[in-house]
Amino acid sequence: MENNNKKLKAKDFITIGIFTAILFAVEFALGMLGYIHPFIVAAYVIILPLASGIPMMLFYTKVEKFGMITIVSVLLAIIMFVGGMGYLGAPLIIISGLVADFIAKSGNYKSFKKTVLSFGIFNFWICSNYFPILVTAESYRKDLIDGGFSAEYANNLFAAINVKTIGILVVLCFVFGCIGAVIGKAVVKKHFEKAGIV
Amino acid sequence: MRLDPRTKLFMVFVISLIAMMSATTPVLWAIRLIITLIPIVLLILEKKYSSALRFFLAYGIALVLLLFFISENSEGIIASLLIGYCGIVVQFMPALITAWYVIRTTKIGEFMSCMQKMHIPDGIAVSLAVVMRFFPTIKEEYSSINDAMRMRGVMLGGGNVLRMFEFRMIPLLFSCVNIGEELSAAAITRGLGGDSKRSSLIELKLGLADYLLMSFLTAATVIFVMYKYFL
Repeated sequence: MENNNKKLKAKDFITIGIFTAILFAVEFALGMLGYIHPFIVAAYVIILPLASGIPMMLFYTKVEKFGMITIVSVLLAIIMFVGGMGYLGAPLIIISGLVADFIAKSGNYKSFKKTVLSFGIFNFWICSNYFPILVTAESYRKDLIDGGFSAEYANNLFAAINVKTIGILVVLCFVFGCIGAVIGKAVVKKHFEKAGIV
Repeated sequence: MRLDPRTKLFMVFVISLIAMMSATTPVLWAIRLIITLIPIVLLILEKKYSSALRFFLAYGIALVLLLFFISENSEGIIASLLIGYCGIVVQFMPALITAWYVIRTTKIGEFMSCMQKMHIPDGIAVSLAVVMRFFPTIKEEYSSINDAMRMRGVMLGGGNVLRMFEFRMIPLLFSCVNIGEELSAAAITRGLGGDSKRSSLIELKLGLADYLLMSFLTAATVIFVMYKYFL
């Protein structure tokens, strides 16, 4: 029985699907802003963790079984691939999901600290979308300009995201992931625990 | 015409792959255009005329703007907004149209039996099916939340960005969680998550159209890669 409770069931898969959809909807809505100015693309590491903290924290309390975050990351990788974000980032998304899953599992999905940490790690999936920009910088730049973006946009994009800044971006991603998780936890407590949904 | 879900998935894969590699020469643009036209034609064949037309116009206008009115040196606010709009549309429209077509024309039963045939783990298949089905629901719920807020005179949360976000996010999560409960109850009554292997009412079979489309897509990819990297 004990073992049975730890395995993902049909109901959990549905919950996972729903929250992935929400997460992606948030990502998509915010992602559109990136076309206004490239600095917003770099600022995803701040905006996205904060925005997705609430749904993800609710998600963490809803399932509490190993594999939940991994499946989310696999789905995200598939969606990102279809959405044209490139195949380079996909494995990284899955790896960060897997690591986040292990961390949350070590806290039994109940420990506050571990959950916060796990969400911080999970947010590396945002950075993995920058990966193609770094690795294929030269051709990416050319593609952007040939693809119709202005030289100004491309220059700003590479000023914001390059090999030097990626370290900062990763750290920011993690830090704001943790902050987002703390805020998310507070909001979940404020709204959902009172309503008896969690 | 009924396409096999496997063909549709293959189409999604190929079209996003080609959309990902940017087109730089006329030949590449031509392939890209043809690839984009495929799902539009398929939409017409499925008698979804209005959406086909909408996608066609949106893509066409953006493409014309991008090719003829925007150059490397465009600067200024209007130009950059235009670049933003056209960039999004031209870059993501092909994949979006295809995904839209697949989601609208694939029944969930077909999708599941296709996933089973390809030996995708149940967890991924179920979750993916839910994701596919859930985007329209999110949109619907979101607009009802907006309506409810307007009815009570809450506009934009009083200009406070955080409240604006909270006022929309929390009710959305509430309704999504509830819908999720109902969805899983419905799915479990239909035997999802049972121990025995699920059978499917729909027999999937690849037909002539599937083979034709698949070989055409493969050919397009090969030509695209050839022209881009080796010629």
